[in-house]
Amino acid sequence: MKTKRIRAGAAAMTGVLLLGACGEGGPGGSGGDFTDGKLVLAVMNDQSGVYKDASGPNSVKAVKMAVADYKKKHGDKAVVDDIEVTSTDHQNKPDIANTKAQELYERGGADVILDVPTSSAALAVANQAKTHKKLFLDVSAATMELTGAQCNKYTFQWAYNTYMLANGTGTTVTGNGDKNWHIIYPDYQFGQDMTKSFTEAISKAGGTVQGTIPTPFPNDNFATFLTKAGSTNPDVIGTMQAGGDLINVVKQFNESGLKERGIDLAVGLMLITDIHSLGVDQFAGTMFTDAWYWNMDDESRAWADRFRDETGTRPTFEHAGNYSAALQYLEAVQEAGTDDADKVVAKLEGKKVNDVFLRNGEIRAKDHSVVHDAYLARVKKPSDVKEDWDYEEIVTTIPAAKAFPPAEASACSM
Amino acid sequence: MTQSVVTPTPGTEAPATIAGGGSRRRWVLLAVGLVAALALPWFVYPPVAMDIVAMALFAIALDILLGYTGLLSFGHAAFWGSSAYVTGLIATHYGVPFPVAVVGGALFAMLLALPVGYLSVRRSGIYFAMVTLAFGQMVYFIGYQWSDLTGGENGLQGVPRKFFGIELVETESFYFYYAALPILLLGMWGAWRIVHSPFGRVLVSIRDNTQRARALGYEVEKYKVIAFVLSAGLTGLAGGVFAINHGFVALTELHWTTSGEVVLMTVLGGIGTLWGGVLGAFLAVMLADYLASSGFDGIDLVTGSVFVLVVLLFRRGVWGTVRHQWLARQQRRTSSRRASASADPARRRP
Repeated sequence: MKTKRIRAGAAAMTGVLLLGACGEGGPGGSGGDFTDGKLVLAVMNDQSGVYKDASGPNSVKAVKMAVADYKKKHGDKAVVDDIEVTSTDHQNKPDIANTKAQELYERGGADVILDVPTSSAALAVANQAKTHKKLFLDVSAATMELTGAQCNKYTFQWAYNTYMLANGTGTTVTGNGDKNWHIIYPDYQFGQDMTKSFTEAISKAGGTVQGTIPTPFPNDNFATFLTKAGSTNPDVIGTMQAGGDLINVVKQFNESGLKERGIDLAVGLMLITDIHSLGVDQFAGTMFTDAWYWNMDDESRAWADRFRDETGTRPTFEHAGNYSAALQYLEAVQEAGTDDADKVVAKLEGKKVNDVFLRNGEIRAKDHSVVHDAYLARVKKPSDVKEDWDYEEIVTTIPAAKAFPPAEASACSM
Repeated sequence: MTQSVVTPTPGTEAPATIAGGGSRRRWVLLAVGLVAALALPWFVYPPVAMDIVAMALFAIALDILLGYTGLLSFGHAAFWGSSAYVTGLIATHYGVPFPVAVVGGALFAMLLALPVGYLSVRRSGIYFAMVTLAFGQMVYFIGYQWSDLTGGENGLQGVPRKFFGIELVETESFYFYYAALPILLLGMWGAWRIVHSPFGRVLVSIRDNTQRARALGYEVEKYKVIAFVLSAGLTGLAGGVFAINHGFVALTELHWTTSGEVVLMTVLGGIGTLWGGVLGAFLAVMLADYLASSGFDGIDLVTGSVFVLVVLLFRRGVWGTVRHQWLARQQRRTSSRRASASADPARRRP
């Protein structure tokens, strides 16, 4: 017993010493000015829970693809050879995200943290980024706070936010003639934000919101809420539910007979993995705003083919967003010739970008919101689906300037 | 005469060691514990080390109710979380040194525990657990909906860490650990005092035989409420330090899963052992921390399996089992000594 404890203690001590030694490794990079002689890209997301498919382990692979592309492009001229990609599971718990981010910046040698779904976790990581003066490129969290009141110099929001989701769908669907809305939303921050943004977009487009119904979260039975929403005979019911709840809403909407009465369904946030898990027939005809779609043009498709070779599945916009964020970060490092966060931020700010994910993209200097074209999509009919994951049809492209709120509207001051 | 109406739960042999057990052994254990607490941040990442000690006090506070009073509270997240929020709000709005904010949070938790405890202790067993769970969820939803104050889903962000202008403590988590440790150790000492006082003995008697305790003239309900409030206060101390440690408060601190987690830690370490909670917290926090960066995607599977294994193999919890073995061995030794002592003269007799 005693010897075992001593042995365990010795093992722990050796571990600590080894870790310490790793941290002090001499410079090994070629050229540039790099701490530890290497660049560490830390992907932090949900590797085991509800958001696993939407981002998860495949986002780590997407980031590795970006590293490979960077090395291929710059070859011998690359300012850093040793690029490490690490993966952390925050289990969607903000306190784990907080501690792990701190540890990654302080001890893991992380130069940048990527991804981080779940708004509360993302805000916690943003605070750590601010404290440690290291970069944080958020891809999968939607909260406007990241580029609003709680923005900071080292945090960027790469892919989307609640305004983008609401504005695209709300404006276009209303413009297409569905003037009267009834909204059901999960009663927490995301649902409330989405409902607010939707209501603004709808009334700006000349429509009216007849009513909004908060629902518990999470919830299984939406029948009463749907009946209540249907009782005012709206043109369209908007649902702000996400993930598993969304699947329940759509199923029960289809069973409720509202569709036969000519009432449409518009969805606030939907990922292609949601369509995949419930089946395209359940969603057929549903309109929603997408930040990116793998089959929207040849460039995206070529990348999605590579992604499929790596992972065996098609990418969501969050996967593509992680690829883009990692790639642009590496490009900025290449330009700056260092991993010094302030210099890299200076290279990123105001940069106009076009890559596989960002079309007409701009990394806004004022609030660090990365704006780009967004897309209004419609789910295909089962008969139109030609191959696996071929679920979406792009109805219109929403130009970057319209897809995101104007910089002046942001509450951000750095 | 029958021993008691209520059969005591296995593993709760707390009073036995109070009476027996050498004081020398206790001092050795105390010294080992203190050295371990002081050495922890050298081996474990300091913020994680702080979490372990805070969670340990949380588990100990719960054990006062679960192990010594026989009440399974399933709503302790309400006191942990509300103290975290109040601590965070005091620190944010008044800029006081963090120990002051933590004490404020703990006082609030006690204040909140008064009505909750008063209403809950009228029931026992599963009903008590359900009532406390209900109160816990009520507090959770208040935190959820009152987003102007609490930040709702996004949590309370950017809680400052003030400590009399000593910059090392304010910025370096390693030094912060040593600044906050005394608060938590004081809480643990308080818990030890509570269960070893005459008041604590009354609690144990209430646990073992409520009717008899009442027949002896003790106001059982009053004792239970006081135990509940004290437990909530210690929980609040731990929750406050936890909030300062992380620099923010998440809504999950109020969620019932946090209540479940601490029950798990207490059971893991051993119910009614007080210090078992420290081991339980250490195991649970280290496991969660290790698995988070292990690249393994079945975290809940592992923690669940560990829990099942511990319950199956160590019914008294880790600490409880070790202590039980130790006591059994000592008893065997003394009885065999006694046996040989009495056997010797017998042999000499012709």
